[in-house]
Amino acid sequence: MPKKKVIETKKISRVFKNGDIQVRALSDIDIVIEEGEFVVIMGSSGSGKSTLLHILGCLDKPTSGDYYLDGVHVNSLNKNQLADIRNQKIGFIFQSYNLLPRTTALENVELPLVYDRSGRFSNSKELAKKALEQVGLGNRIYHKTNELSGGQQQRVAIARALVNNPALILSDEATGNLDSRSSIDIADLFVRLNNEGKTILMITHEPEIAQFAKRMIYLRDGRVLTDELIKNRSTKESALKDLEQTS
Amino acid sequence: MKQLLKTFKVAFQSIYKNKTRSLLTALGIIIGVAAVIMTISAGEGATQEVQGQISGLGTNLLMVATKSEHRGGIDVRMGRPIDEKDFDILQKNSVWISKLSPLIANGVRAIGPEGNKSTTIYGVASDYFDILSREIISGDIFSEEDVKAARKVCVIGETIKTELFAGEDPIGHQIRIDKVPFTIIGLLKEEGKGTMGQDQDDMLIAPYTTIQNRLYGRRRGYNMIMASAISEDHIEDAEIEITELLRESHRIIDGEEDDFEVTTQIELQEITGNITGILTLILGAIASISLIVGGIGIMNIMLVSVTERTREIGTRLAIGARESDILTQFLIEAIVLSLVGGIIGIALGIIGNQIIYKITDFYIPTAVNSILIGFGFSVLVGVVFGYFPARKAARLNPIDALRYE
Repeated sequence: MPKKKVIETKKISRVFKNGDIQVRALSDIDIVIEEGEFVVIMGSSGSGKSTLLHILGCLDKPTSGDYYLDGVHVNSLNKNQLADIRNQKIGFIFQSYNLLPRTTALENVELPLVYDRSGRFSNSKELAKKALEQVGLGNRIYHKTNELSGGQQQRVAIARALVNNPALILSDEATGNLDSRSSIDIADLFVRLNNEGKTILMITHEPEIAQFAKRMIYLRDGRVLTDELIKNRSTKESALKDLEQTS
Repeated sequence: MKQLLKTFKVAFQSIYKNKTRSLLTALGIIIGVAAVIMTISAGEGATQEVQGQISGLGTNLLMVATKSEHRGGIDVRMGRPIDEKDFDILQKNSVWISKLSPLIANGVRAIGPEGNKSTTIYGVASDYFDILSREIISGDIFSEEDVKAARKVCVIGETIKTELFAGEDPIGHQIRIDKVPFTIIGLLKEEGKGTMGQDQDDMLIAPYTTIQNRLYGRRRGYNMIMASAISEDHIEDAEIEITELLRESHRIIDGEEDDFEVTTQIELQEITGNITGILTLILGAIASISLIVGGIGIMNIMLVSVTERTREIGTRLAIGARESDILTQFLIEAIVLSLVGGIIGIALGIIGNQIIYKITDFYIPTAVNSILIGFGFSVLVGVVFGYFPARKAARLNPIDALRYE
């Protein structure tokens, strides 16, 4: 049985217009990501990886081409439908965590369920607790965000991305604000979640973090330059060892 | 419906988690509402106070005086003075007048056992006390007999008693005015400050005949004649009647103007109504300024807090909030803060009025329209400026909102 396609893009392009100037951020991107994959998108700044992530995350629409997310044709959706699909099918993780200040980890994680209109979930508190346990913060559910370290805050954000059981987890430079050791912890958490069956797409510019993924898509000037499987995947142990050697 | 309930919870949580911001927002509204209530109430209080004093001046009052014109900063009498002849004509012929009294006012130096004092002596008939509703708390007023016989008796006010008799009972004692001794037969009930701030207890009242015969002679006429119409409905009739009688007596031919003026209490109320109207206008202007200042305060804090929260809005949008969810949340927050602030403002305004009453003895009834205006405007400003920036933010592309610094 063929695996379910979580992401399928057909000749996606994105053109930004600024007055008379047109900037082509993405050209003819064809990507298929199946259920259970762990993909990293790399590329120098200006390569279009953020633009691609925004389109895949249903925050932006392509200028041309078709995008199917979990079988849904995203191009034809209106604003509210896009909001609902973000809510139900996508878990976002941001570089700067984007948690609500002065609010407990539990309340932060519950937030996506507040906007859930499908009525899939009956007990949001239990689900949020479970998600926090999944990221190893089961003992900090009532801590407020400002009482947590950067790594812990990012784990809360990951729990928030998990809580609605999305088809796809999108990570936008999740380790960008963290020290090396915390970054490795987060990358390792992604690996564990992927092993549990989650489909993960992340962008990063740190090669050592990218090495945790299964497949790497390299963008240059808005086009896919390479798309290949990663051979020597890092593990937490190997990454920590490398870290010790370099320092 | 269920979604609305959840949004309510989010809004209340947001208010609670950001206590300082919430407090500042509410504070703008609290101050705006309280300031408006206090200024408008003070204006209304002053108006009522003045009008109360005028109606307390006497019922159905009419005043007849020589016409005067304002020339070079001073009032100049134009016609012949109002005098005994006019008084007699009115007394004999008028139908609509029930009480009548001349009034001769003179600034004098009164000498009593405990000192002397410059004051005013009023020469009147005994009807005067009824016309102006002035009551006697001890002794009695002078009788018509006293007036006829020009007896040297007088009624004094509280201020005279305090200053010239050191507060002792003055009844039966004498007071000298221009070497003429007057026997005090009555004490006026205290009246306090008048409409124009004059002391209404700093006076002596004596029969007008005594003033004319024993003090100053007849030649100057009266300052005015005071009269009461038989009832409130006939004030106008009385005014017309007085005018006709006096025109005849002064031999004024048709087409020529009166050389006297008849002022009724209604006109007096209109004049002071104009004055207090100006007062209310000024206070209203002050209140509008505090409204505008308060409104700008509310506007500022709302704009700043929404701008500050653009990233939060971006996050909420990214994890699946609809534009309407964000709008509803901010609208609820703005309404709740404005209402709570408004109610606290009303309470503070009322308490403020009470404090002013306690300190200055100036009673300010809290005006209902001030509550409505202050509360309505502040809540409106709060909601509008809480809502529109939020709408702007909610309509942003989520990417731009997320990146907002």
